[in-house]
Formats: sequence, C-alpha cells, structure tokens
Amino acid sequence: MFASRLKRRLRAGARLIVVDPRSIDLVSSPHIKADYHLQLRPGTNVAVINALAHVIVTEGLLAQDFVDQRCDVEAFNVWREFVARPNNSPEALEVMTGVPAAKIREAARLYATGGNGAIYYGLGVTEHAQGSTMVIGIANLAMATGNIGREGVGVNPLRGQNNVQGSCDMGSFPHEYPGYRHVSDDATRTLFEKDWGLSLRKEPGLRIPNMFEAAMDGSFKGLYCQGEDIVQSDPDTQHVIAALETMECIVVQDLFLNETAKYAHVFLPGSSFLEKDGTFTNAERRISRVRKVMAPKAGLGDWEVTVALSNALGYPMHYNDPSEIMEEVARLTPTFAGVNYDKLDRLGSVQWPCNDEMPEGTPLMHIDHFVRGKGRFLITQYVPTDEKITPKFPLLLTTGRILSQYNVGAQTRRTDNVRFHEEDRLDIHPQDAEERGIHEDDWVGISSRAGDTVLRARVTERMQPGVVYTTFHFPESGANVITTDNSDWATNCPEYKVTAVQVVKVKHSSEWQENYRKFNETQLRLLKEKVVAGAVATVNGH
Amino acid sequence: MNAEHLIKMANDIGAFFEAMPNREQATKDVATHIRKFWEPRMQKSLMVYLSTHGDAGLKDIVRDALREFHPA
Repeated sequence: MFASRLKRRLRAGARLIVVDPRSIDLVSSPHIKADYHLQLRPGTNVAVINALAHVIVTEGLLAQDFVDQRCDVEAFNVWREFVARPNNSPEALEVMTGVPAAKIREAARLYATGGNGAIYYGLGVTEHAQGSTMVIGIANLAMATGNIGREGVGVNPLRGQNNVQGSCDMGSFPHEYPGYRHVSDDATRTLFEKDWGLSLRKEPGLRIPNMFEAAMDGSFKGLYCQGEDIVQSDPDTQHVIAALETMECIVVQDLFLNETAKYAHVFLPGSSFLEKDGTFTNAERRISRVRKVMAPKAGLGDWEVTVALSNALGYPMHYNDPSEIMEEVARLTPTFAGVNYDKLDRLGSVQWPCNDEMPEGTPLMHIDHFVRGKGRFLITQYVPTDEKITPKFPLLLTTGRILSQYNVGAQTRRTDNVRFHEEDRLDIHPQDAEERGIHEDDWVGISSRAGDTVLRARVTERMQPGVVYTTFHFPESGANVITTDNSDWATNCPEYKVTAVQVVKVKHSSEWQENYRKFNETQLRLLKEKVVAGAVATVNGH
Repeated sequence: MNAEHLIKMANDIGAFFEAMPNREQATKDVATHIRKFWEPRMQKSLMVYLSTHGDAGLKDIVRDALREFHPA
C-alpha cells in the first residue's frame, strides 16, 4: 500500500534515497529510479545515519530555527558536537559501511535541502542489535532538518503486519498498558485494577526470547500463542523448539495447523478477518472497522474464544459484542477516549489521539510542539554488532520477505501466490558464487554458529559481494535455523538482518531438514489418523 | 536464566548509554532501563550470578549501575 503511493509520488517527480544492502526494486524499476542508493554493509545503519548527520551539521544544512523553537537546545548541542566529530564523517566510516563518502554527502544535502523530506523505514531498521539506536538516529535527523510536524514530512515506520500498530496500542508489550503507559505507573495500574476488580503486577513481563530462556531453566511452563508461528518466524529455530519441548501447556489458536501447532497440547481454531468484527489500526494510527462477511467457520470469533478461555480460567468477561470491548478501551485509555463504533461508522476511520480535545481524531501529530514537550536529541554511538565475519563464516546473511508471500506463508502458501514464489532461495553475488563453484539452481549449504540449512542458489547482482539473502516463507527452508540469538539492546527484537555464514555447494539437504521432514511426516500422519478416528467415532455416535 | 546471555544483554544496554557525556545520568539510565524492561526473574538471576561469580564480565557503566541495584 505504502509503496504504491510512494511510487505515484516518484512518478510525479519526488526524489528518492534508498538505504539498503540489496539493489531492491525501488532502486531501479520501470518509471522509478532512486537518486541515490546507499548500499551499506548489513549492520552499519547507525554508522550511515551518523555520517548523514555529520554532513548536515558540518556543512551548515541544519534547520536552526526549528531546532531553536522546538527542541531541547542543550541536548541538541551535545548531539551536534558528537556527530561533528571526525570519526563520524562519511570518509572515516566509509570503510565500515561500504558506502562511498561522496554519495553520503550528496544524499545528506538532498534530504536537508530538497524541500519536504519524509523517512519511511521497515524491519531493515529495527531487526538489528542497534535497531533502537537507529530509530533514535532517524528522529534526530528529522528534527535537525525540520522535517517533522507537517504534511509531507515525518518519520514513518512501516509495520510488518496490518495490525502491528493496533496490537502495540493495546498494550501487547510485556511492560505496558494500552496507550503506552508503563506497568509501574501507579495511577494507570490503579485505573485498571478498579475497572477489572483485580490486583495487577507493577513489574514488566517476559519478552518472547526471554520466555524461551526462562523455559530452558524450568520457570516458564505455559504459552498461549494466537495467530503467530514462532517456530518458523523466530530466530535460532532449534533453541525455540528446545524451549517449547520443556513447556507443560502450549495452546495455539490459529487459522491453520502451523509449525508451532505441531508442538501444542491444545489447538483452538482461529477466525479470519472475513469472519470477525473489530478494528485494525495501521501505521498512521488510523483505526478502521473490520466487519465479518460470514459467520466464523469454527463457530466463534477470536474474541469469543478469548472470553470463553478467560471464563474457564476463573475471570468472567461479560462482553456481548466487540463494540463493548472498544467502550472499555475508550474508558481506560486517554488517547482513545473519543473512539466508539458509532463514530467509526460515521467517519469511516479515526486517527488517534481521539478525545474531547480532538473529537474526530488527529491526522498530524507534533505540529506546534512534540508530545513530550521539547524535542530531545540523543547521541547515537555506532557499536558494531557482535555478529562479525570470520574465516569460518566469511559472508553476511540478511533475511527478508517478498510481496507475494505473507510472513511465514501459513496463509499464502495455500494460494496460487506460490507461482510467484514457490521456494525460498539463497541470493548470492556472481563473484561469491564463482569463488565457490556455485551456479544458478545449485543446492548450497548455509551454515552459521546457530545451525545449517540447504537452499537452491540464485546468482544475482542485486546482492553486493560478501552479502547473501534469503526469505523464510517455507518451513522446510529452515532460514531461521541459521539466524542467531543476537537482539536489539533495548527491545530484544531479533537481529534477523545480520548473521555471519559460510555457503558451499552441496548435494544433500541438511541434517536439520532431514529431521524436520521426518517430524513433519509423523505429525501429519498422526493428524490424519486422529481425523479418521474422529470421523469413525462420529459415525458410531450416530 | 542463562547468566551469559543476561550479562551480554546488560552490556549491550551499557554500550548505548556509555556514549552519553553525563556519566552519572547515563549510569542511572542503565539501571532504570533494566528495572523498567527486565522481568524480575531476569534481574534476580543476574544479581545472584554476579554475587557468586563476580562482575568481571560487566562493562564499567553496568557495574556501577548495578551497585545500588536491588533486584525485585
């Protein structure tokens, strides 16, 4: 959706800077050509953002009036001194980033002086050991050039799924209540305690990788997993499976029997977006209604399953309709205070904050001042990831997704979309392929410190030498058998984008893939036997 | 919990804050980050490990941050 709008603007004359280790379609495709492609080495994002900032500061390209009026000047001065240091110059960082200094300088000048400048970023920013630092660096750059708080500018994170924003808004983090309020905040916690009639903890909970660690030491025993396939999507698959195998109760609720469901003790059916009522919230904070067009084939909508489970566990929920859940959200969440289904039906959609002050929502934020008050610049020291190339693992693997498959592919692999993408391939530069005697379509083994897998090669100049790429849409690919437990310092978001690997030509699938094939066959056979037995029982019952 | 991983996580947090010019504030920020985002058993596991094995593997700023730290 975003890309199609972006391309429309590009065809109308907008200028474009792409920062990506690969030559993606946006760099050059029909009617689209980026002005600059900063083809950086994976893991050097923060070095690149610091170099861009260095040019803006040292070449006098700052939006000083904006900074003076809108930002904390003391913090800005500290940041300005930091990025102006010679070690943050494009020339000093060129050897690490792989991006020619002259290109960085020209791109920085374009962003700072080319009129409205908007930054769009995806998981190529966040899925790094320094993902949070990079987000801060992007915010610094936008403030320094005055590119925030009006139409056509801003910092725009593109979400990985359609309702990531909505999930975050509703407190799906283990440390927050809805509306991004920390669990240690007494006023917020008391509000929920009174409304729910419960005593609530003031400490944060575990994040997913921490859950696996806790499972391995025996202190985490149960998991309720809704609409997510952690066995396929999370890094270091063998570690994930080892953790799941220690748990006493795994409940999976999903549309399909996905990879995680093969380790579940209980499976609850999920309902698709066509079978349920509710809301989705997209990356521009826009809350939109989702309306069911058919009754759930499983008999219950997702929210009804959660209510039934809660009732069975001893906490009765009394919602009769999803609109009543939204009423509770509005009652307990100041930024949603004015949201209700009648308003959504009347307006079509609403962007939060929506409250007495902004009864029809807030299309633009940070117009005259930042929500926190003065904009705060923070130093973003580049810290190279621990995942470094070595003689044993001389290449860097970066993983990603493609347009025709949706994440782990549980839904799209069942459609004709497989004609666009029927298997996960390893993209490798011709030079790296030649050094290894690898040709197009050859089977290649990819090994990292976490594990091994085998894929077919695609030799392509979309890659830069020294960097390989694959997707993780098919479980038998085992792409996440290779990725490691490295994660972001602040959020623990896995570092999917940087794994040191070796690639060699092979003739057989990996040991993990052989084991997976046998395990999968067993699971499917057991399922078939169960279904047949169930059918027989039903017949006998009649 | 795996102490090696917890030490690495703590040092990664320290690596971000140690670049800040106000060392006292940066040290406080490291402690605050761990308090706000680490589940109590993670905090406790790290402190128990350090009390028996020493804190040689920690960055200075993390060691200072944890000095006044009271695990939940």
